[in-house]
Amino acid sequence: MSYRRIAVFGGVYSNYLALAATLQDARRREVDALFCLGDLGGFGPYPDRVYPLLRNAGVQVMRGNYDISLAEGLTDCGCGYTDPRDNYYAALSYEYTFQNTSEENRRWLRTLPDMLRVQLGSYRLHMCHGSPRQVNEFMWESTTPDGFLGKLCQDYEAEVLLFTHTGIKWHRSLPGDLHAVNVGVIGRPENDGETHVWYALLTAEPALEVVFVPVQYDYEALAIDMQEEGLPEAFVETIRSGWWTSCLEVLPGKERAGGRW
Amino acid sequence: MGTVPEAPFNHLHALWFQLTGTLCNLACSHCFISCSPTNHSLKFVAPETVYRYLDEAETHGVREVYFTGGEPFLHKQIIPILERSLQVAATSVLTNGTLITPTVADQLAALAAESLYSLEMRVSLDDVDEKKNDAVRGKGSLRRALQALQLLQERGLLPIVAVTEYFYEGQTAVPQQPGGGSGFYKRFRDFLLENGVEKPRLKVIPVFAMGKLHSSEAGGAFVTPDMMRGFDVTTLQCTKSRIVAEDGVYACPLLVGEPKARLSEGSLADALQPCSLYHTACHTCYLTGMTCANY
Repeated sequence: MSYRRIAVFGGVYSNYLALAATLQDARRREVDALFCLGDLGGFGPYPDRVYPLLRNAGVQVMRGNYDISLAEGLTDCGCGYTDPRDNYYAALSYEYTFQNTSEENRRWLRTLPDMLRVQLGSYRLHMCHGSPRQVNEFMWESTTPDGFLGKLCQDYEAEVLLFTHTGIKWHRSLPGDLHAVNVGVIGRPENDGETHVWYALLTAEPALEVVFVPVQYDYEALAIDMQEEGLPEAFVETIRSGWWTSCLEVLPGKERAGGRW
Repeated sequence: MGTVPEAPFNHLHALWFQLTGTLCNLACSHCFISCSPTNHSLKFVAPETVYRYLDEAETHGVREVYFTGGEPFLHKQIIPILERSLQVAATSVLTNGTLITPTVADQLAALAAESLYSLEMRVSLDDVDEKKNDAVRGKGSLRRALQALQLLQERGLLPIVAVTEYFYEGQTAVPQQPGGGSGFYKRFRDFLLENGVEKPRLKVIPVFAMGKLHSSEAGGAFVTPDMMRGFDVTTLQCTKSRIVAEDGVYACPLLVGEPKARLSEGSLADALQPCSLYHTACHTCYLTGMTCANY
């Protein structure tokens, strides 16, 4: 099956309000299909709320590191942090998410694939969470060279690679009409001082067009939910300010320079 | 004693260069390869050699390039080398910071601004206390490193501070996790913030029982075949990185110059093969998940 226009998003992080707004926005743009590149939980409140939204909208979902950890009952989120402060927050978040995700939803996660292959017009798309070769590999724009991307396209037989995991979107065209797209995340803002989140809209016209769509949602309602659930104040601050306050040490210099902290 | 386990080679994530061999303007008491102003056992790598290996690494899809030594800023061609490296991949320099003058900082900032890929300066420190730090690294070294951090920070480059867990109170053995002790990490973070480093970035490295600490209490054990069962071997950096020195390609930055860790005298491709986990340093990496890379 070949699509003409699709919506792709990643990193829901239990942000059910941003997810609902994203689904509504994508429907309005008449997409043929919706794809989620994983990490349904973590960071936000009431993790079970995102599952019915995804299932009812017919979103094709694959697993990220967080989903694999929840599904397999692992002891940590597997995000790949190396710094004690980042790991402290990651542990708090994972414990909350683990305790508040139902057994039924964890069973459902076990049924999901770890990658997706999709045809968009004449383009073969390879969708993954971190990188095609490792679920929690960080593909930041400033540490992902063209030579590496070209090799991945060749190794995985795709013209377009789609991934998430880092939380900051980017798109790069390579010679030969190859493309790498980090679709960003809809679970938290992307460290630019803005409260909205982003997803990616891909259209084969027939040439590939990649558009990043900003999504506004009721972030104040989410912040209040998070406070009521006793989630870290540092997370709430990110939702309200648009600046990351944790998980910062994995950012390369260029990406770190773009944020406030 | 059973057979020595091997680590498979998965892919080339990082390529390192032992750019200035074992020559350093400091002579730190814990240096794992005993670098000093008089140690010429490993020589400088010529720019042409660097470029040749960079080209080859690009065809293997390398993601990151690192320059270390010795002190890389002793290399007169460091700026053109970094310029070329940044055309291939994100690039990091491991430095003691003492040779980063305002002019050098300006050149680095210009290179970073022009490149799509990140240029990282990783400056080594050992303690926030001047006396303790300088006892390891030499007189005046804390003040000079701090000056470098501030010069880089003022120009929008956010240096990473690398700290060896050497002075951690009560430490007599290799820590099980880098930064595992209470207060160690926070002490450095607070110190950097107090000294105008607004976005402190810290890399904590465990102490290795080799080089000048060869006979220390730390370490002394080896990886055994039994230990490999059920172990996630991808945590070992030798499954995804190699280091180029003037006399060939070695398994990892810690074992550079060790004859048993030299995997090729020529092409990089020849060195992209399994390597032996024969050294006590392998045991430290095994225990701590240590990587010489930034993350």
